[in-house]
Amino acid sequence: MTVKQLIDKVFLTEILKGMALTFKMMLSKPVTIQYPDEKRKIYPGFRGKHAFVRDAKTGRQKCIMCMKCVNICPSQCISLKKGRDENNKPFLERYDIDALRCIYCGYCVEVCPVCALVLTEEFGYCSYTKDAIFFDKDKMLKNWDEFVAKLSGDVYWNKFWRPNGVDISKMPKSKREQAPVPIRPTPAMPSDTVPGKNPVNPAEKTLEPAAKVEEKPEEKKEVV
Amino acid sequence: MDISSFYGSLGTDTTDFILRMIIMVAKIAVVIVIALLHVAYSTWFERKIIGHMQIRLGPMRVGYHGLLQPFADFVKLFFKEDIIPSSGDRPVFQLAPMIALFATISSLAVIPFFDDFVIAKNMNVGLLYLFAMSSLSAYGIILAGWSSNSKYAFLGGLRSSAQVISYEIALALSLVGIMVLSGSLNLVEIIEAQQKHWYGMYVVVQFPAYILFLICAFAETNRTPFDLPEAESELVAGYFVEYSGMRFSLFFMAEYIAMIIMSCIAVTCFWGGWTLPPVVMKALPFLAVVPGLVWFLLKVYCHLFLFYWVRATVPRFRYDHLMSLGWKVLIPLALANIVITSIVKFLF
Repeated sequence: MTVKQLIDKVFLTEILKGMALTFKMMLSKPVTIQYPDEKRKIYPGFRGKHAFVRDAKTGRQKCIMCMKCVNICPSQCISLKKGRDENNKPFLERYDIDALRCIYCGYCVEVCPVCALVLTEEFGYCSYTKDAIFFDKDKMLKNWDEFVAKLSGDVYWNKFWRPNGVDISKMPKSKREQAPVPIRPTPAMPSDTVPGKNPVNPAEKTLEPAAKVEEKPEEKKEVV
Repeated sequence: MDISSFYGSLGTDTTDFILRMIIMVAKIAVVIVIALLHVAYSTWFERKIIGHMQIRLGPMRVGYHGLLQPFADFVKLFFKEDIIPSSGDRPVFQLAPMIALFATISSLAVIPFFDDFVIAKNMNVGLLYLFAMSSLSAYGIILAGWSSNSKYAFLGGLRSSAQVISYEIALALSLVGIMVLSGSLNLVEIIEAQQKHWYGMYVVVQFPAYILFLICAFAETNRTPFDLPEAESELVAGYFVEYSGMRFSLFFMAEYIAMIIMSCIAVTCFWGGWTLPPVVMKALPFLAVVPGLVWFLLKVYCHLFLFYWVRATVPRFRYDHLMSLGWKVLIPLALANIVITSIVKFLF
């Protein structure tokens, strides 16, 4: 045993070092976020509450009933029913997501060829009833409207629509051409189709959103 | 207590005796209530300190910065179901927490909180009484472990008995140096003896004994790093694993009061109790305005902080390390301290 080791042992240097560290830590700022009072910033790409993208042109969801999301879902929480109207034209009769079964993997969002589906950055939607967390197609659209109302920009883009690491040329055409979705009512789109949205002054809504829409995909392509 | 004057007052003047008894009971009530409030807030203090040391916040929700948390905890424990194991030893199970709490609370009787405020005045075996009471509280723990009829509780009780016996010796021996220097076991006289020196605190001349005392105090109160009787990762909760509700909180209070008592002993024997060193008083005479209780409590709080600080830093000892530390290191060191102190006292 060297002299230094002896000194360390007698004067408990290691313990004193540890105590110095804990004392220093006590004076540092706690990292705690007091959850209900203050919320941490949710970054883009957070996979939360499910929503259907409301199409700016039709004012409805964009689902083409390809069944890809139903088939890929690992927890099998999506169920879809195709119906036929009087002209024998297919329409989305039912689209249900049982969010209590969902594992938030985001596969449905990645696989959707028309980018109709999105896992929004909304995370606080716990409830006392199961019904409130069982989303049918109307609720999915409502989720979208509620989510978009909180957003600050004019367009919305979800990074899982064009997943990283997948060659863009292998994606379907509709996915390749998908532009960030305009989320503010434009003059082309009647404001009454978007509930909960009151445009401040339609005159101010010029073609600015559209201009931005064109800018965004180019940026995206560079990244991909 | 002065026995002859006690009986003398009983015979000659009954009203005087009754009056004194009332004052005594009032004093005891004040001390116990204040001690229990200290227990409540030392839990809050501990959670805050350890929280901040782990870069957390500690209790924040009940009251301003969680200040009402102790009362919320009390209400919770009070209304919890009192469960007694069906295969346990019922009367002993009920008695054990009371023994633990009684033994620790009765230690408060000889602690001089400030000038002339001691419940048992002129107790000439003050320190011995404190040792006796802290050993007695181990009975509560051992009986709790035995009567629970659970392997975890039993192991906790066994560990506690071995630990308390080993460290009791070193604890008492580490204070013998103080007894030699002050020539008394009476805590008030120990403080007065410290005031005769310019430094006014025995920690200056008895620093090794102070460190020994602190280590033994940690072991004696079952605090980390010597919390083997309640080692959560091995024994679930140790000796009180079967206790719930108020009975559990009695053990809890006993542990915290024991911690406060140990801090009080350290303050009284090593840090001059409610006094400040004469050299400080001479340099800053205006400090005489501050009541002695403030200094006493400040010193006690510093020791409590040390308890929490060590808990937040040091991991638990292994059992054989604990035993070898106690018998092979602390007791020889304490004996050496006694010898050296006696020689120095004899020479000067």
